[in-house]
Amino acid sequence: MLIDIKDLYKIYNEGKESEVRALDGVSLQIDRGEFVSIIGQSGSGKSTLMNILGCLDIPTYGDYHLDGTDVTELSDRQLAHIRNKQIGFIFQGYNLIPALNARENVELPLIYQGIGLEKRHERSETALERVGMFERADHRPSEMSGGQQQRVAIARAIATHPSIIMADEPTGALDSKTGRHVLEILHSLHEDGSTVILITHDNGIAATAERIVRLADGKIIADGTREEVGL
Amino acid sequence: MNISQAVKMAAKSISSNKGRSFLTMLGIIIGLAAVIILVSYAQGQNMALKAYYDSQGTNILEVSAYNWMDPNNSVGQKLYDYCLGMEEVEGVTPNGYVYSDLTISYGAKTLSRNRNYGMGMVIMGGGMVSSSYGGGSDDHYPQIRLGNDKYGLCNDYKIAKGREFSYLEIEKGAQVCILGSDTAEYLFSFADPIDKTITINGLPFRVIGVYQSKAAGLNLGNDEESQWMEESIKRNDQLLLLPSTMTRYFNNNESITDYIVKVKDADSVTKAVTDLNGFLSGIVDTNYGGYGVYNPGEYQNDQDEANALQQRFLGGIAAISLLVGGIGIMNIMLVTVTERTREIGIRKAIGAERRSIITQFLIEAAMICGIGGILGIIVGYIGTMVVTKLSFGLVLMPGSSITAGAFAISVALGIIFGMYPAIKASALQPVEALRAD
Repeated sequence: MLIDIKDLYKIYNEGKESEVRALDGVSLQIDRGEFVSIIGQSGSGKSTLMNILGCLDIPTYGDYHLDGTDVTELSDRQLAHIRNKQIGFIFQGYNLIPALNARENVELPLIYQGIGLEKRHERSETALERVGMFERADHRPSEMSGGQQQRVAIARAIATHPSIIMADEPTGALDSKTGRHVLEILHSLHEDGSTVILITHDNGIAATAERIVRLADGKIIADGTREEVGL
Repeated sequence: MNISQAVKMAAKSISSNKGRSFLTMLGIIIGLAAVIILVSYAQGQNMALKAYYDSQGTNILEVSAYNWMDPNNSVGQKLYDYCLGMEEVEGVTPNGYVYSDLTISYGAKTLSRNRNYGMGMVIMGGGMVSSSYGGGSDDHYPQIRLGNDKYGLCNDYKIAKGREFSYLEIEKGAQVCILGSDTAEYLFSFADPIDKTITINGLPFRVIGVYQSKAAGLNLGNDEESQWMEESIKRNDQLLLLPSTMTRYFNNNESITDYIVKVKDADSVTKAVTDLNGFLSGIVDTNYGGYGVYNPGEYQNDQDEANALQQRFLGGIAAISLLVGGIGIMNIMLVTVTERTREIGIRKAIGAERRSIITQFLIEAAMICGIGGILGIIVGYIGTMVVTKLSFGLVLMPGSSITAGAFAISVALGIIFGMYPAIKASALQPVEALRAD
């Protein structure tokens, strides 16, 4: 079991009148090599779930084991290492660093790993080639289209060979043709053995996954294949 | 992440925000330039005063003793003998003046004094000398002094050519003389004056020595006080020294009543003053004469204290401007962190440790201050040159210790003031940081 969460809660302003339960007792298991879509309307808690799964946020209550490790027990530094080595993030807003060009953005997580220059170049080139952005390696984000930026972001996510790729609305800011292209890349990564968790509010995109988890009001209301979830 | 990576990242961040980086540096540049200019100025002032005091002789006492009733001035001889016996005394020389008009010539060159122009020299309490000069050869008219074989030692003159008087020449009243560098140059141009004979009121004197210039290479500045100091230092070079026994000839047998006593070191001065006063009070009958022991160093000490105070004051102003620069840096760093919260979120999301973020921001701050420091030093040097040109007096170019110290301070300021925002930035939860616009 790669991801194993039990009775996970994320509660803001607990005990006050303004209390919000972003996650309200969620349990979920994901195996290595799965392609899982998490869908739900905005406010359903899907982004909160991804942030916790990606170790960007900590749950208020509950257990989270990632690859057998109890993540809730880890220090700030150990969490940084997990984000660095095990997880590759793809965000809706790309989240590239504007001052750095494509290659430098892709190499950034490798720098934090302490990987030497030569190996870094090798890996960033492979990753950029993989997403078809090798020719644009020297361009800055401002010199690229949205789709191109997202492909660079994907290259950054896969450059570290993470065990999980987490994509939060990766096509949300793209036109449908570019969006489809990005989705194809995610699927090809999955075919090569990556675990992919895709968060979206778009049923059409979610439906491309073999497993779909539907969230509403911080709870899982459906979990299964496209037919089982009713897409 | 290693340091060289962090340095590269910081360099990238600084260069991608040139405008803001420069504004941040401006605080350090101005602060540092102010420190360098002010310290250089203060040091220059001290240097000018020290040069002036040194030219007048160091660790010396001016002693006078006289008795009107005794034309041979036996008190003078007694004082001389007593000084020779004093443990702390290095040398003693009569310091006689010639009051009558003299005409000095060598070949076609003639120096003469016109009483109306005068060489009026008034010694005022603190060694302030006011003087008036006429034009022409009067500019070079020598300061004629009567001294002995220790005159050079007591007045901090060094022999450039030839030698000092011998004891025998003093005893016999030999017709020999020693020239100051200016006098020698005026009379002999580039020729060697040694063993040449000049005439003083027609009487031949053989030149046996030339003193080194005290004013060579001196440039104390162009303000009134510095000019005055420079001129009084130059006047030392306009010397014409004759054996003290020649007073018989030039001063109508009047004996010399003034002496200069050179003591070993600054610590011995006080004891020497006490000893001399004690001795003189015993041998001088104040009904028929008088005595005085004057210590020029005393005034110098007062001046030094005033200078130290001025230096502390200027240093304080400079330190405040540096501090303001430092606070400016902290401000900008805080703004930078706020502006770049999202970037910090991204960096943390892809695996940056807290330490890496702190390192990056600290190095960035240190680099900004370092570059600002270098620019500040350049501006400080240029400013110092400008101040020198604007004639505020002698300004020393900042020494390497000031420069290195100022640079170290500016980098340290960057690190100290960069610390707080860096720690603040690193403490953000990645998800919070990513939410920022």
